[in-house]
Amino acid sequence: MKDSSKSIKYIEKEKLGAFIAELQKEYVVIAPKKVKEFVLFEIIRENEKPVLDFRNSRQSPKEFFFPQTENIVEYEGIIDKRVPLTRDTEMQKRIIFGIRPCDIRSILILDKLFINEDYVDSYYKRLRDNTLLFAYGCNEPRTTCFCSSFGIGPFEEKGTDGFLTDLGDGYLVEGFSEEAKKAIANLPDAAKETIEKKEKCKKLSNERAASSVPIDTIPEKLRTMFEHPLWEDITERCLGCGVCTYLCPTCHCFDIQDEMIDEKGRRVKNWDSCMFPIFTLHGSGHQPRELRYQRMRQRIMHKFNYYDDNFGIIACSGCGRCVTECPVNIDVREILNKIKKS
Amino acid sequence: MKRNPYIPIDVKVDKIRFETDDKLIKTFDLVFLDKKDEEEFMYFPGQFAELSILGKGESPIGIASSPTEPGFLRFTVMKVGVVTTALHNFDEGAIMGVRGPLGNWYPIEEMKGKNIVIVGGGFAFTTLRSLLIYMLDKKNRKDYGDITCIYGARSPGLLCYRDELAEWEKRKDMSLYQCIDWKFGPKGPLEEAAVEGWEPINLKEPVKTKLKPGSKKFTAFVPQLVSAVKPGAKDSYAIVCGPPIMIKFTIPVLTELGFPPERIINSLENRMKCGIGKCGRCNIGPKYVCKDGPVFSLKELEKLPKEY
Repeated sequence: MKDSSKSIKYIEKEKLGAFIAELQKEYVVIAPKKVKEFVLFEIIRENEKPVLDFRNSRQSPKEFFFPQTENIVEYEGIIDKRVPLTRDTEMQKRIIFGIRPCDIRSILILDKLFINEDYVDSYYKRLRDNTLLFAYGCNEPRTTCFCSSFGIGPFEEKGTDGFLTDLGDGYLVEGFSEEAKKAIANLPDAAKETIEKKEKCKKLSNERAASSVPIDTIPEKLRTMFEHPLWEDITERCLGCGVCTYLCPTCHCFDIQDEMIDEKGRRVKNWDSCMFPIFTLHGSGHQPRELRYQRMRQRIMHKFNYYDDNFGIIACSGCGRCVTECPVNIDVREILNKIKKS
Repeated sequence: MKRNPYIPIDVKVDKIRFETDDKLIKTFDLVFLDKKDEEEFMYFPGQFAELSILGKGESPIGIASSPTEPGFLRFTVMKVGVVTTALHNFDEGAIMGVRGPLGNWYPIEEMKGKNIVIVGGGFAFTTLRSLLIYMLDKKNRKDYGDITCIYGARSPGLLCYRDELAEWEKRKDMSLYQCIDWKFGPKGPLEEAAVEGWEPINLKEPVKTKLKPGSKKFTAFVPQLVSAVKPGAKDSYAIVCGPPIMIKFTIPVLTELGFPPERIINSLENRMKCGIGKCGRCNIGPKYVCKDGPVFSLKELEKLPKEY
């Protein structure tokens, strides 16, 4: 049966470079690249090929929508005469290729915060509106993955424009949105067998990614747990380094800072972290979150209770980066299990 | 198209004056460079704005002017950090920015027909001034019942808006009670006037103080003066704004007087950056002080974790 709502194409692995080059005529292509020992999302330059034999990138492509440092106002001149300079808002269309489904979910989570009826973050929206997302199914979920806890799986399609599946010799390339279909129109149609092969991959992977952490009751449970000995217990070995928040694809907290070089200045949004005491320090010296466990509590509460309260979705996609990169092996899945049991 | 909420609106510093004798607090009147911006800047008493100095940063400050006095925005600012110091160093005529109006406001609609008790301390009186001016406005005064204002500071020279306090003192359509802190001896507060003319209340049992008719200036802590004045709770709202210690001791007094939590209104502050509920730092539980507040009823606060 042919599904007319999407187009299903196939590309041999050796032809990927040529396909990317084709896309680059119209799009800035962002895809995983090997940078030292890490796989990171970067802009693919001419004649460069993305690296697609990775399980997940060290950082999610969050920074392409919510950059680590982003200019929001530019200005010049002497201090008591400065007004914002107007900036050009034209931008070239982009395509992010090879983003994992958990990281797509994370973007959908961030959308709720940055684009809502209260206020729209126009910087985020502009980047979001001009970017196509081509997801990449996970044939081999990592042991630290727990996306299925959040009702998504290694082949989740929600929020994607297109989908890529590694089938050994080549990739199945599916286009869902009109623009994605157009972008892949020149690729040959996939044979029936290849489509079936993808379904097998998907089934196998879904089984492997079956969740170890049932999350359903957590938001409700946390509602009564603000005062609880658990917070001090789970924070005991935390160094407060904040790496969990910097690598988290859903962490959205930021600082606003001004900086001047000679007569030119800019005001920027910078990633920030609730794990740092200065995050909440008042000018008067008053500190609502003085102790590290209070900051840990904020991080967990924000993701698993407050965000759900405000936007109806948990601010975690189960990518497992905070688990793999924590220098003292704090595992959020263990924390969630403890919450369930307490 | 909706305005980009991160871009400050251009304003000129029109007037600057010292507000307190310690010279740490100044009041700034800002005027919009573009008349259209002024029309769009629709605000209510209790809201705040980010004062923006490009190259230095931003500082969230309550709006002290009232929408009933058009033509300028007033901010009373203590010199504390980088931005407020730069602001204090400005001369009249300087160009700067504001972002706002931000946050919610005092429940001016809900309070119609009710008696209003305003309780303020120190330089947190700013948005309370806005509210008072709003309610005392000719068009609005009839919408509210009795208006009582209890306002204190550490010393007479630290009270804000002293010219206006003197006017309000004379008004027949409101009651103003002011106080200054006790003088301290080696064994604690001394039961005497801290400054001549500032009558001491009953220190041990403030509630037993006999207020002489006509006396309006006292030596007392704000919560004690509330006990002594005993504003009626029936059909009344209490609006409380001041340092945390004042709020902490005022709330039990109001509760004792019979004010229910839904009619005790507080204005909170927290460290803020964006002011629009995105940057993630000013939350108390799931509520953001910048967007869901800064005004919360005690009833609302009772549902939130005690993390402020």
